[in-house]
Amino acid sequence: MGASMTGVSSLLAAHDVDLAALSAGGDRRAFSELVRRHGSAVRGLLRRMGADGAAADDVAQDAFLAAFEQIAEFRGEGTFQAWIKRIAARLYARRWRRQSRGRAVAEADEPQASSAADEAGAAGRLDLDAAMATLPVPERLCVALCYGAGLSHGEAADALNLPLGTVKSHVKRGLDRLRRRLAPPRGDGSGDREAGDGAHG
Amino acid sequence: MAPMAELEGERAFEARLDRLFAQAPAFGDADLFTLRVSDRLNRGWSLRAGLIGALGVAGGMVGVYQALESGVFARAETVSDRYGAAIGHAVDRVLPLNIALSGLPFAGEVLWMPAVLAALAVGYAISRAIREI
Repeated sequence: MGASMTGVSSLLAAHDVDLAALSAGGDRRAFSELVRRHGSAVRGLLRRMGADGAAADDVAQDAFLAAFEQIAEFRGEGTFQAWIKRIAARLYARRWRRQSRGRAVAEADEPQASSAADEAGAAGRLDLDAAMATLPVPERLCVALCYGAGLSHGEAADALNLPLGTVKSHVKRGLDRLRRRLAPPRGDGSGDREAGDGAHG
Repeated sequence: MAPMAELEGERAFEARLDRLFAQAPAFGDADLFTLRVSDRLNRGWSLRAGLIGALGVAGGMVGVYQALESGVFARAETVSDRYGAAIGHAVDRVLPLNIALSGLPFAGEVLWMPAVLAALAVGYAISRAIREI
């Protein structure tokens, strides 16, 4: 680990764990490099959870600032991206809880883009973002927390302040819907673009 | 066999979902986002540094005030005079040269210099302690 690693090119080449260690020592440039690398993943996750563009960016910024404050707790056991995604997902879940407190459950259960997605689904294969947009909000949140942020069902239940059984039901129903939406169209066995970057987990 | 095949299908789908979620979408304003986070980080850091500095100065002033109130400098001056005289006598006895130490500025005024330095050191130490906390 290079404590003297301060050059820009060194930062670009550094491993996330080393950048996190430098950040823990107060090196904000090292942390900015982490933001550059993982900002899009966090913003994408928050959008998949249902946040609109501005809200997703606000929460993503807050998540990175919170991560900088507690960067010493990151010990490289998982990937940095998985760690920051969990922070961001929990922040958004808290925000959703606050906002949905006074809202009718029926309203929250409504899918946000079902008609557009139905048309797209009829036309052909949907990508994950469009498929997620067809889910009712609680299912969308539960699926994104468990599969996008890597939380367990129990952790998702805590984050959303919902009973564990409810979260499991939402996840199961959400997966069933996604499976139907993401099913390859007949006669096209190519499947989705699955160039996973291996950063998850 | 059918339930087994169904289970395998579910696992394969979950693995596929993991991979899909791992794909980060590309944002045209990714650099701007990084810049915004860095700006907020720097603003917060500057604010914190200013606060720590102010607390350090305040702590140093309180420390000096407490030291003055307790009369530690007056006592130190008395002790200094006494020991200064004793040292002068000792030096007079040891050194063949007759240097008049009493003529040197070795009295209360000299004590203020280390006192000011000590106050600065206390302030610095307090600011470091606050930063560590």
